[in-house]
Amino acid sequence: MSAEEKIDIDLFKVVFRAIAQSDNLEIMANHLTQLLVAALEIKGCTIFALNVELDELEVLASFGLSPEYVNKGPLLSDKSIADTFDGKPFVIRDVSNTNKLQYPQDAAKEGIGAIVSVPINFSGKVIGALRLYHHEVWDISDRDVDSLLVLSENIGLAMTYTRILKAIRTIRYTVDDIHDIWMLD
Amino acid sequence: MAIQKILVAYNFAQLDQKAIEFVTTTFAHLDGVEITFFHAYTPIPEIETQPSVVTGKLKSSLSYLAQQVMQRENDFKAIIDNLATKDLAKCRIQTIFRPRKKDIASEIISLNHETKFDAIVLNRKASRVTRFFSGSVSHKVLMTLKDTTVCIVS
Repeated sequence: MSAEEKIDIDLFKVVFRAIAQSDNLEIMANHLTQLLVAALEIKGCTIFALNVELDELEVLASFGLSPEYVNKGPLLSDKSIADTFDGKPFVIRDVSNTNKLQYPQDAAKEGIGAIVSVPINFSGKVIGALRLYHHEVWDISDRDVDSLLVLSENIGLAMTYTRILKAIRTIRYTVDDIHDIWMLD
Repeated sequence: MAIQKILVAYNFAQLDQKAIEFVTTTFAHLDGVEITFFHAYTPIPEIETQPSVVTGKLKSSLSYLAQQVMQRENDFKAIIDNLATKDLAKCRIQTIFRPRKKDIASEIISLNHETKFDAIVLNRKASRVTRFFSGSVSHKVLMTLKDTTVCIVS
């Protein structure tokens, strides 16, 4: 495949509208994976959150991959395309010729030819990863990788915003639970 | 004898198997049990933008996404049909596969309002960081529902 540029301003419009229209992170993340699969004509897409306590990647949203592949086992951040966690995107243009995968046989069985892994950064820290899976060997253009990085930064913002919103809602519910008798004014 | 209605939330996850084993050992030998397996999927997004080459191509690709959703529904029904003929042969089995409009906990709560279940079986994976972002399904269901037995398989 040639390194044709597939991500342009029209695609950004569609994707960012999908992000802006949802107040639910899971639905937003699922729409994002669906739109990227459709727009880039790839096999699948997954958004992971990084569990720093266990050094594992947890699936936040996924589309196009089989449940068997998604549930293949824990994805360790230092074994599964570890370069992503240095904060840089990483392209495996041919999965049959790499030592960067934790489960290479599962990838082959799933029919994955190439993987692009982009970190989700927030405030200089890696909080997750956006991964795209192609059926074939994939020569993605540098510009498209850069566009995916911009997209992943926005996913990072959305994740952080959702986290803060959830904390505020929890505080609100807790305050609502306080009976007037405990209010001293 | 009144029918006992059990709801099992299914999400194509590893722990679903554990929830199914729990349901099988607890209810499979009983008469008058109706088990509903429920999966809520994220519907395909609507594309609202000015026509262009990219969005035109994207709209045509959405039919592929719809096929994928249909495939997922078929997979779901096949899994449950297999259970119905083998492990849960004595029970009445139903499946609900429908688009979600809100978070999964709210979908389960809405479904419980539509069809009053006697028990709801959920699974919960410990120490999940995604819970920080999306909230705990089991916690919200437990906090919201009254007069319903909620079983959490962990």
